Amino acid sequence: MLSHSAIAQGTYRAGVLPSVNFNYKLANQWSVNFKVESRQLFKTGTFEAEYNTNYRYVLTDYSLLAAKKIGLNSRLSGGYLLRYRDNEIIHRFIQQYTTVQRLTGYRLAHRLAMDQTFQSNEPIEFRLRYRLTGEFPLNGESADPREFYVKVNSEYLNALEDATYDLEVRLVPLLGYTFTPRHKLEIGLDYRINNFVTGSGSHSFWTSINWYIEL
Amino acid sequence: MKNPSDYIFAAAILVFWFFVPQSVSAQNKYESESRLQEELVPAKALYFIDSLQTGASIRWYLEQGLQSSSIEAKFTSKRQNHSVEFDTLGNIEDIEVEMKWSDLPPTLQDSISASLKGDCENYKVRKVQIQYSGSPSSLITKIKSGDLKEGCTVKYELVVKCNTFSDAVLYEFLFSDTGEQEGRSKIVFKNSSNLEY
Repeated sequence: MLSHSAIAQGTYRAGVLPSVNFNYKLANQWSVNFKVESRQLFKTGTFEAEYNTNYRYVLTDYSLLAAKKIGLNSRLSGGYLLRYRDNEIIHRFIQQYTTVQRLTGYRLAHRLAMDQTFQSNEPIEFRLRYRLTGEFPLNGESADPREFYVKVNSEYLNALEDATYDLEVRLVPLLGYTFTPRHKLEIGLDYRINNFVTGSGSHSFWTSINWYIEL
Repeated sequence: MKNPSDYIFAAAILVFWFFVPQSVSAQNKYESESRLQEELVPAKALYFIDSLQTGASIRWYLEQGLQSSSIEAKFTSKRQNHSVEFDTLGNIEDIEVEMKWSDLPPTLQDSISASLKGDCENYKVRKVQIQYSGSPSSLITKIKSGDLKEGCTVKYELVVKCNTFSDAVLYEFLFSDTGEQEGRSKIVFKNSSNLEY
């Protein structure tokens, strides 16, 4: 999909994306999910040579989703994300459908989501995104407590803002560890590219650290 | 920390630590399955598997629940998935062979279907296994030659997606060879928050 020249001319940024993800089950197949994610930048530049290594705090996201189980393996969720960036508050509404396939030796999850982002002095941004996630235990047929697993996300985001379309592609390979049935930690790379359909490509390399907690 | 958001993020981390002791103590029933090196398998179990002379490569697992543990050998023979379960001393407990629903005798299908209709508004059979238990010699004969010797008990284990008015649940049913329901247990999934969010 990407030519060597597109990568060579593109811009990049690198940093860290720590997140804590709380999930709480309610009655009647309902659950809520609260997530806090911070984004911190360590390096920006172009692939040719120039770069800037100054540390910069970028943003923090707080999201709250209510989810209803609608089938044996599927869930509908909706909620709100609040983003703090440069002393500005950005609002995002999220709707998503997820389904998890439990196969012999691994699990696959599909997520189809829409969101609408509202920001002062900016047109509304609409996104339609699809994510495929695979979880592959490194010991046995499922990721049990005190066992490692590999998780890989592949996501495609279609964004439309003021009649301008962009496609973002994400690839996220992670190494996970199940401490207990209620605690999982994942660390790995969150690679993102956008602005490559018409531009020369903007690449992001985040160190992703995710803690999942079942309350 | 220059930004107020950093403080909120740090507070979220502290909230997490607050919940750690509760989460650990709140563990309830779960079953875990991990690969087991052949060197750690009891000699009795190894001998039994050798006696089957399948020629297949064997994958060994240790299944641990809160109540009990067992050792399981899995292999594919004659295009069928086999699962042989032993206790931790290596004594054979049963052999399960995966099969198709359509390969069950029609009368047995009818009996099982009638039973499932009593439990579920509608259902879908996800997996069928024929289960053999009995003396080691009768089990070896069954697997090697297909002959069912006296003393070998046959049952059927089914994984069924069962829809009720308010929920969809996956159950593991156990049926006798005449289609009488002998047991039912709810399959509890491992949480999948890390795949969904």
